[in-house]
Formats: sequence, C-alpha cells, structure tokens
Amino acid sequence: MADGVPTWEEVARDHGRFLYNVAYRLAGNDSDAQDLVQEALLRVRKGLERYQPGSLEGWLARIVTNVFLDEVRRRRRRPADALPEDPDWVLPPAPAADQVFTGLSDDVPAALASLPDEFRSAVVLCDVADLPYEEIAESLGVPVGTVRSRIHRGRRLLRNALLSTGETA
Amino acid sequence: VNARPAPDDRLSAYLDGELDAAERADVDGYLAESPEWRAERDAVAYARDALRGLSVHEVPAGFWEGVLSPELTRARARRRSRLPRLVAAATAGVAVAAVVIASLVIPSPDSVTPRVPALSDSHAVRTSVSDEPVSQLAALSMITPYRR
Repeated sequence: MADGVPTWEEVARDHGRFLYNVAYRLAGNDSDAQDLVQEALLRVRKGLERYQPGSLEGWLARIVTNVFLDEVRRRRRRPADALPEDPDWVLPPAPAADQVFTGLSDDVPAALASLPDEFRSAVVLCDVADLPYEEIAESLGVPVGTVRSRIHRGRRLLRNALLSTGETA
Repeated sequence: VNARPAPDDRLSAYLDGELDAAERADVDGYLAESPEWRAERDAVAYARDALRGLSVHEVPAGFWEGVLSPELTRARARRRSRLPRLVAAATAGVAVAAVVIASLVIPSPDSVTPRVPALSDSHAVRTSVSDEPVSQLAALSMITPYRR
C-alpha cells in the first residue's frame, strides 16, 4: 500500500469479505451477489487512482450499492417492488417487552429481500455497512432527510415482514 | 400549547446517533411522555437489532480464486471496454463522413462570382438584332453596373 492507497489485490484480499456481505444483503442471493462483487471490483480497479485515503469500506459499500442500483434500473423494477404510496400504513402492535430479537432467525434475510430496493439499500448501508447518514446520502444521491425517511420506513417494513412471518410468535 | 407530533423518522435517527442536540432533546421529551413514541421506537429498534445481529454471509468456496484470476479479470475488462470504443469509433467515422460530404455538396459563398455584366452584354448583343420589344430592354442593364 503506497500513500494510503491500497492495491486492487489488497482490496479484494482484505476487504472482500465485507464487500461480499454487503453485496449479498443487497442482492439477497449468492448468484447475484457474485455478479455485484465482480462488477464492483472492476470499478474499484478503475477508481483506485482517484481514491482518497479514508474509510475504504465505506467507499467499497458505496461502489457496490451503485452497482446494485444500476442493475436494478437496468432490469426495471417489478410492479410489486414499487414504493408504497401511503406513508401512514398501519403499524402492527409492538412486540411485548419480553420478545427480544435474538438475531438467529433465517427470516431476517428473507424479510430484508422483500423490501423495496430504495429502502433495502438505505438500511443495508446503515445497518450492515454501518455508514453514517451523510455518506449514505452521498452514495444514493439523495438528501440526508430522504435517507432518514427511507431508513425509518425500511425498518418499519422489515419489522412488519418479520411479524408476518411469525418471527416473534 | 404545543401539540406533540406523531412518531416520525427522528426515532431511527435517534437510535443511530444522527440527531443534533435540540432534536435529541425533543425526542427524549416525547419518549418520556408518550407510549406511542415508545412503541414506535421499540418497533424500529427491533428491526435495527435484527439487521445488525445478522452474521456475516461467507463467500462461497472458490469464488475469490475465480474473481482474482488475471485471465478472467482481463477478459471482463476487455468485454466491458469494447462496446464504448466501438461506439466512439463509429461516431467519429460518421462525423468525418458528414464533414467530407458537406464540403463537396455545399459550395462556399465566397467562391461564387456572379458574371451578371458579361451575361447581360451577351444578351444585349443577341437581342439587339431581334425585333422583340421586351427583350430589347435587356440592353438597359448595361447602363446600371452590378453591385452586391
């Protein structure tokens, strides 16, 4: 690594696991995640000369998210994935105080995959890649207020999906 | 009396430490007073914890060997770079052809040299031996020099 700028091989070797995990949470399956990672690494290779030393994993998360959103735009979103028009949909009852999430369920990835792409991108960048809102806004090309809204609504949708699959039952 | 707003996206920002001091104080106040705000906070915290509690999804065996193989990487890069280059070359070719055709078909305004006086002279000579009255008027054009 010279002047804080890693080589392409170092990126793949040292941060590949992180990159793949973000790609997998965005795509929801291994096949698409592998395509995302390969495309992201090509963009990383081209962009390394312009990389400013800083949060490398944040930079990688932004790249793979952009690859994902480009692919989504290319394929055209299915009607079922359209953003909800009504922001005030009914929130199911909150779980009881003793219903603490254990984080071990297979339902979470499925619930995450069921979110509309814009919401999934926002919550993955926040809760999987652990980026601050400002960086998420930059990645998605939207204002910070929009990021805040998408994360909140995405979490509500995720919780509803988990409840509907009996996560807390 | 300030009405308390309905729970909103400040709650997620609150959990993520993304609020400034004033907003945080507001949310603290709402949470202290309102079961509705507390229920919403618990709901989004539940989803947030679920996501953050996910284990890292491991890369399938053999994936990196394929990705990092120089041959595969070069092949993908070539495939990706070929199309833009072809498009650029085709665009440049069309532009050059258009310029060449335009230069052949469209005459330059500066290259036009009107020969009106000479034509007028010859026409006057021809009509001077004719009895046709209108044509004989052409001889008058010799009196007025041509100006652009």
